[in-house]
Amino acid sequence: MKQEISSLMDGELFEDEAEGLLDRIKHDSSSLMDWEMYHLIGDVLRQPEHIHCDLSARVRKRMQDEPVILAPRGRAVKQKVRAFALSAAASLLAVGMVVWMSLQISPEAAPQIAMQQTANRPVNLQIQSNSNEYLMAHQEFSPSTEMNGGASYIHTVSYGTDEK
Amino acid sequence: MTDREVDQQLVERVQRGDKLAFDLLVSKYQRRLGRLISRFVRDPAEAEDVTQDAFIKAYRALPGFRGESAFYTWLYRIGINTAKNHLLASKRRAPTSTPLDTEEAETYEDIGLLHEVSTPENELMSKQVVDVVQASLQQLPEDLRSALTLREIEGLSYEEIAVVMNCPIGTVRSRIFRAREAVAENLRPLLETGKDKRW
Repeated sequence: MKQEISSLMDGELFEDEAEGLLDRIKHDSSSLMDWEMYHLIGDVLRQPEHIHCDLSARVRKRMQDEPVILAPRGRAVKQKVRAFALSAAASLLAVGMVVWMSLQISPEAAPQIAMQQTANRPVNLQIQSNSNEYLMAHQEFSPSTEMNGGASYIHTVSYGTDEK
Repeated sequence: MTDREVDQQLVERVQRGDKLAFDLLVSKYQRRLGRLISRFVRDPAEAEDVTQDAFIKAYRALPGFRGESAFYTWLYRIGINTAKNHLLASKRRAPTSTPLDTEEAETYEDIGLLHEVSTPENELMSKQVVDVVQASLQQLPEDLRSALTLREIEGLSYEEIAVVMNCPIGTVRSRIFRAREAVAENLRPLLETGKDKRW
């Protein structure tokens, strides 16, 4: 057990071993003495010019007047639970949306919509020639393209359709 | 489990209502915190009181400690603030003209700033403790002395010590423990004589 205490204070025990050992040290006065003694030895070796008497007994006495701390469960745990709940809610919402949309769009309605779009298409393509030039000149700044800055190096080729 | 993780483990226990776990933190950090505070508060008796106050303040503030920094840096910050507040309250000036931050204060090596006045009894005891530890260290076999020195003074991990000493980690573990225990054996009779003043 003493060797385990020695390893614990050097941070060289596995977590499960350390947890059990900490419990034993707290409830065993001779182990607590070993813990204090080993720390004293380390302090003397590091700073021999500043060694004072043990304050822990005095602190312990003053601690008797202090209330027991019952802090709310660790905030880290809370944050993890919150993040999990949020992601789960987002996933459920997404699934719900997909289901709702699939129920709203019946198989019969889909071709009608597609046909309607086809009918509207010529109207959408009526772009004035001057705005076409403008768009061509500035397309490299468009956020929709993934070739920002590269468009100026691309040559465009056009041909007339109304030549007879 | 690293040293910092052991501290965090103890902190979480205190946060769950385990007062005894705080004892282990006090035992571990009392001299380091006391040394830090004595750089601000010159009178040793006052410095000891301030150190106790700092621990009590740390205990009260522990519910708000989230583990984002190491426990000891958080504790040292409380120690420095407590010392400064003490100096303000007693309308005295801090011993240094420039404020020390936590890390500077902890690594500051100018022993001349320390005020090592104590009661004759404490002073004698302190000297004896230091003498016994140092004499015991010198009496240790070379491999044990090296292992303990590399660990406690140089702060090397067991793995690093194993490389330096060219031996397995298990041997390092054993050597450090045997060295500590050999020194502790010589210290125990001395410390048992002053039961009212444990060290």
